[in-house]
Amino acid sequence: MRLFKFTIVTPHRTLFDGEIQEVIARTTEGDVGILAGHARYAAILKTGVMTVKMENGSIRKAAVAGGVIKVSDDKTTVLSTAAEWAEEIDPDWAERSRQDALAKIEQAKNEPDRLERANLKLQRALNRLSVSGHGTGTIQAPKKK
Amino acid sequence: MPNLKDIKRRIHSVESTMQITKAMELVASSKFRHAKDRAETAEPFYRSIYQLMAEIASEDPYFNSQYVHKQTADGAVLLIVIAGDRGLAGGFNSAILRMAQARIDEVRAQGGNPIVMPIGQKAVDYFVRRGEKLLKTYDHVAEHASIYLAMDMAELVLQTYKRHESLCSVELIFTNYVSPIKQLPEHMQVIPLSELPELDQKKSAVEYEPSPEVLFDKLVPQYLAGLIYGAIAESFASEQAARRTAMENATDNATEMIDNLSLQYNRARQSAITQEITEIVGGANAQQ
Repeated sequence: MRLFKFTIVTPHRTLFDGEIQEVIARTTEGDVGILAGHARYAAILKTGVMTVKMENGSIRKAAVAGGVIKVSDDKTTVLSTAAEWAEEIDPDWAERSRQDALAKIEQAKNEPDRLERANLKLQRALNRLSVSGHGTGTIQAPKKK
Repeated sequence: MPNLKDIKRRIHSVESTMQITKAMELVASSKFRHAKDRAETAEPFYRSIYQLMAEIASEDPYFNSQYVHKQTADGAVLLIVIAGDRGLAGGFNSAILRMAQARIDEVRAQGGNPIVMPIGQKAVDYFVRRGEKLLKTYDHVAEHASIYLAMDMAELVLQTYKRHESLCSVELIFTNYVSPIKQLPEHMQVIPLSELPELDQKKSAVEYEPSPEVLFDKLVPQYLAGLIYGAIAESFASEQAARRTAMENATDNATEMIDNLSLQYNRARQSAITQEITEIVGGANAQQ
């Protein structure tokens, strides 16, 4: 299978930089699969799972906290504020941040700005739990005020 | 000839100062290493987003985002100023604050209305004392700054920008880390993104989902957050580098002073002994 260059960049570190066979990303419009030679493309990512088929054919999953994916002629880039591989996620930590997020949602009931942020935090925590195989498997949609 | 006891006391005092400067130098250099790594890893993120925004904007000649052009403006300028939380870092804080003040004076001279968002205790103190109009202040955040804090800041800035018609530009003043001995205060225009570079477009168009405008506007907060986070990390690395250099110099000066004082002390001691011997010999001779 043809390979293409792929990078995942976050402000804290470059999570991945190398050649892969395929990546499946969750965009706001739905899941997209990118193979080598894909047309130039850019889309907004939702908080969700990203599946990467590595150079040797193995599958790795990553939790991505929103961002953007960009396919250009020579390489594909994912930019996200936070991303980690499934096996790196500490489920206890993710569970604690889920509870923390729930507490924040409770506190911020009457403040739309803070509520929005707490909801995003909850989504990230749920996403990490589900990607690491400890969650319910689905991500709750954020509650609209 | 100075008194032996006085010289001894001065040597002690310089020695204890040297201990402090030496300790600060070590602390700064260990923090510096960490801060430099952080600043370096933050860079590719906002560079890539900026690149992508430039691509989107140059793709479409009719491209129009509120972040690129703003029609109504009567000259309020928001300045995000990043300085340190502590002093004793050579000219680090004064250089950045001088640059910020020069920009404020310039805005005023053009009939504009400067508003400041200071980050770092030194910047907060300075602008509070000067009585400038402040949007919000942040202190003691640089060392453990996270991207989420930067996202909050970016959100606040963008909300303010959208809500206030009179706010015509947002600018960032921070210290750019160049090398361990060189840090440069820098002033950059953040919004509107008027100077996106024009890129040569290849023939095949890019497919944007949902649309170029939505994607662009969605990228702006992330870009701004990445930029603020990067600027905080750069400034913090610069601060530590500046402090390390300043403390290294102070330690060197103290060593030199101790050397000089020891020389003086030994001379004084020698001449005191010589004098004593002369007195004894003189006394013995007188008795014969």
